[in-house]
Amino acid sequence: MTDTLVVARKELLDLRRDRFMALLLGFILVATTLSVIVGAAQFRIKLDEYDQYVAALKASGSAVSAAAPQLFPLQLLRGSIEYIELIGGLFAIVVGYGMVAKEKQRATIELLFSRPVRRYSVAGGKVLALAITWLVAVAVVFTVITGVLLIVGRAPLQPVDIGRLLIAAAVAWAYLLLWSSLAMALASSTKHLSTGLIAVLVLWLVVVLIIPQIGDTMDPDNQVPGGLFKSLQVAKPDEHAVLAHFAGYDTVRNGLEVSSVTKHFERLSFAFLGIKDVFNQLPIAAVARQTLAYSLSLVLASAAAVGLALLTTTRKTLLRRNS
Amino acid sequence: MSEIAIRTAGLSKSYGDKKALVGLDLEVRAGEIFGLLGHNGAGKTTTVNLLTTLLPPTGGQMVIGGHDGTANPDAVRRIIGYLPENVQFYDNLTTLENLRYFGRLSGLRRPDARIDQVLEYLDFTGHENERLGTFSKGMRQRVGIAQAILHEPAVLFLDEPTSGLDPQGVRKLREIIVGLNRDLGMTIFMNTHLLSEVTKTCTSIGVLTAGELRYHDSLAATLDAFPDESSLEDIYLHLDSPRVA
Repeated sequence: MTDTLVVARKELLDLRRDRFMALLLGFILVATTLSVIVGAAQFRIKLDEYDQYVAALKASGSAVSAAAPQLFPLQLLRGSIEYIELIGGLFAIVVGYGMVAKEKQRATIELLFSRPVRRYSVAGGKVLALAITWLVAVAVVFTVITGVLLIVGRAPLQPVDIGRLLIAAAVAWAYLLLWSSLAMALASSTKHLSTGLIAVLVLWLVVVLIIPQIGDTMDPDNQVPGGLFKSLQVAKPDEHAVLAHFAGYDTVRNGLEVSSVTKHFERLSFAFLGIKDVFNQLPIAAVARQTLAYSLSLVLASAAAVGLALLTTTRKTLLRRNS
Repeated sequence: MSEIAIRTAGLSKSYGDKKALVGLDLEVRAGEIFGLLGHNGAGKTTTVNLLTTLLPPTGGQMVIGGHDGTANPDAVRRIIGYLPENVQFYDNLTTLENLRYFGRLSGLRRPDARIDQVLEYLDFTGHENERLGTFSKGMRQRVGIAQAILHEPAVLFLDEPTSGLDPQGVRKLREIIVGLNRDLGMTIFMNTHLLSEVTKTCTSIGVLTAGELRYHDSLAATLDAFPDESSLEDIYLHLDSPRVA
């Protein structure tokens, strides 16, 4: 077994027995599941109403067939994605930061580096452990969510929906790994642990909350419940015509939003799960083509964060005295 | 292994303008128990951190077990064991899991048999599956010794090994240190400010003051050289005072 695997195995064992970690993951699981349960229950009510309507038609001997309602069960995952986006990102920071902070604070790092470990073994082992942790966490969350959709919502999931769920899970995994790796890198590279924590929390605040919020606030459609144009009974083509007069404004608003990698995660997830109406009738390949830029940026950002964690988590940085 | 286990020449460490260790010239022969004495802040821990390659020196050379510590630190790490002051472990892991971890990182592919052997030697069997979060300082110290000797190092570095232990723990640890030297032939380098430990454990001593090695000789020669002094404590205070240059 290589040193990297030895470190990864130890980290996973340590995390598995960490009550705080269990609490965090449990919280994400409960929050995302509850959000889907509520949506699934409403979905089931709509299905039941339709079934009752069809049964009543049949009983009356009517020859008229009832049009099936346009229901997209994966749209029920909107709340879950938002929880992963906000709370998941924050928890990922806690886990990644803790992996380095515990070692630095408790001086176990001295024992570790008195052994002949290679340059990237410690960092590699920790990143690998984070990757596996989030893989398992995301797999559990998405399995439970799928189960809720099937059992509570009686949602008729097609194989293509499972494909969409798998892609959304992969996107969530990359997003969580990004925040954990970034937190690990900052905890390693700053002399004082508190500085690293403050830096990564400020980054989270700006990227996850402030920038997307500014973009959302600037969107006129978000100012009225249900959407500005819908409430004014403006049809889609007219809406586009109106917005064409505000192209500059919308470019700035969109530019602000897309400067946040969190927004990329959200747009990718919403697109593949069909939460955004424009995507829910499109095949996966078409969605992938239309969201290629977001996929690339999320992958690149995650890879950069992992790379940064590998480069900064070194003998020199970890053995540096902190206070 | 060469006859000289530890050799340093002009070994120095500075933090900016502050000189923590000044031109240390030291030789410790293989099979010795060397005690490095000094008051707090004298540079003892810095010396151990340099010799265990945890810190890079700002000057000088060091050779441990025939390996150049600055040019080839990994070779040194393979042949040394280290017990830091206030040793810490992963509290969520059991004794066995902690020792497996450090054993594997020390190059042992299947460490379990060796762990059994070491725990038996240290009279610590029966605690393998207990998590370290519940252990007393003395118990942790024994696990610390176990991780340090798992890979049968030629040189063992102990930083204030009896610090914080109760009298029983001190006696037990002393027996272990002497036993490791006697039974396994390990060269032991220990930092301490407990003079009683030096007389009962070490075969040679050095006195460090303000980062400078002021004295180095065998314990027997030291006691002979200072016949007027009533105890080692007097000798230590004499050596540590500014009049000895």
